[in-house]
Amino acid sequence: MKAKHQSMQAQRNRVYVLFLAGPVVLFLIAYVYSVGYTVNLSLHSWDGLSPVSKFVGFDNYISLFKSARFENTVINNLKWLVFYLLVPTTLGLSIALLLDGKLKGEGIFKTIIFLPYIITPVAVSAVWRWLYVPDGGLFNTLITLVGFEDLTQNWLGDRGVVNFSVMLAALWCATGFSFLVFYSGLKSIPQEYIEAARIDGASPVSIFWNIVLPQLWPSTILVVGLFGIDAMRIFDIVWSMSGGGPARASEVLATQLYDVGFSTFRMGMASAIGVCQLIMAAVLILPYIMYIARRVEDHGE
Amino acid sequence: MTMHRSVPLLRACRYVAAILISLIFFVPMLVAIVSAFKTPAELTDVLSLPAHLDTQNFTTGWQQVGRGVLNSLMITVPAVILSVFIGSVAAYPLSMMNAARSRFVYFFLLSGMFVPFQIVQIPVFYIMRAVGLYNTIPGLWVVHIAYGIPICTFFMRNFFATVPRSLYEAAQLDGCGPAGYFFKILLPASMTGIAALSIVQSRSVWNDLLFAMTLTNSGNTMPVTAALNGFVTAIQVQYGPLMASSIISVIPMLLVFLLFQKAFVRGLLGGSSK
Repeated sequence: MKAKHQSMQAQRNRVYVLFLAGPVVLFLIAYVYSVGYTVNLSLHSWDGLSPVSKFVGFDNYISLFKSARFENTVINNLKWLVFYLLVPTTLGLSIALLLDGKLKGEGIFKTIIFLPYIITPVAVSAVWRWLYVPDGGLFNTLITLVGFEDLTQNWLGDRGVVNFSVMLAALWCATGFSFLVFYSGLKSIPQEYIEAARIDGASPVSIFWNIVLPQLWPSTILVVGLFGIDAMRIFDIVWSMSGGGPARASEVLATQLYDVGFSTFRMGMASAIGVCQLIMAAVLILPYIMYIARRVEDHGE
Repeated sequence: MTMHRSVPLLRACRYVAAILISLIFFVPMLVAIVSAFKTPAELTDVLSLPAHLDTQNFTTGWQQVGRGVLNSLMITVPAVILSVFIGSVAAYPLSMMNAARSRFVYFFLLSGMFVPFQIVQIPVFYIMRAVGLYNTIPGLWVVHIAYGIPICTFFMRNFFATVPRSLYEAAQLDGCGPAGYFFKILLPASMTGIAALSIVQSRSVWNDLLFAMTLTNSGNTMPVTAALNGFVTAIQVQYGPLMASSIISVIPMLLVFLLFQKAFVRGLLGGSSK
């Protein structure tokens, strides 16, 4: 009986290993090998075409750290991170609080707020570029119409304004996600908690801080985590909206990497940018991934 | 949860605020739709309405991105099916083995979630060229499957953990092996999870621009995002056709959302929403 149990156990383990083998091999090639390739390439100088590349040690990194262009890009990426972690989260939460609770037409409001999240970032760029056209676009037309002609902007052509403009478009689509998560989170808070607190004479403000917000913690983790990952990867909307311009004012690491690698064929330098991006993401995002993994694991068992 | 007491004035304020915010969120979509039906002359006044519904822009738009939409469909459907399947295959043992043994593999696969795809952009380009998958649709399947592993494994591992253990024990008593249990019982029992993940994955595959730009360079493979991007960043932009193209590029995802709204929401919430 014991032997039979053991052989079943062994058979089961064999099947498990077999199941894991394919995905793990694919993962090793896609992630481990590829990241190693990039790290190695970042120590070389290579134009992407010639058969030989030259080992240059940390030269690529040294020139990166000395360049004002790279410094500006890193700052932009950090701006995107702060933006994503604060603005669409708070806005989504506020709208969720506003719409929650017996409002007629809730479904329509919900759909309208959420829809932009489904739209392809490239299409978002297309639409917002049209809204931002300095001469005849919606923004400047409306501003002129209400008599503030001085406030019209060259939204995507002004170095000082461009980051704000791209972020506003990103806000338009990202809010749908945080809104939806918080809205569902609110719906799942047991009504009795609130009622009990109200009977005890708690003010709405204190109910919010002491009951609602702690109950929304799982929703907050989800939103903040995914936005953090998005912010570190940000590429599509910047690339198709401003291309990193004007004069590189809105560049982020991903667009700079693309430009350095695939437009000017400095593959070593581009790889060094990628490695810096990975390290930044590792420091900022990895602890979070470990946290949710552990949380889900505890939850699942 | 209802925090608000039903004070009529407060209710009215909430309505006004809700309507205003929805309007603001709706304006960009409205402008895009209205502009798509305008003639070039009418486009010069953004606040005007088109005299009649001019469909010329949609004809031009379809010429611009129609092929891209078809390519995107051919990329997205198989890529999503395969990546959800591979994710399930990896998630199954991880959900069955005891935590101490599987933890390392699980964390290892999961760590891929934070990796910004840009760091693998250059190697992926050269690997795909070396194996002859550059500028092919199957090449994009492979890339989306590989880079979907962390999220799909995480999601399905999460979902499988909610399937009652008794199901497995019953199957075992009936003489069902571990592989048989996976294919015959676990997968069919997990259809809600699979549907939710599929929709979330469709969104990210459909919307992908980075791999599309890195791995395709001709009209018969380029997905709609890359095709549209070409027109967005063109020097002379024709906004009428561009709005029509944008709308065309969004319609498939919009249909998926409207048809499978519940599964979509469940998927976004990590498969666990009520």
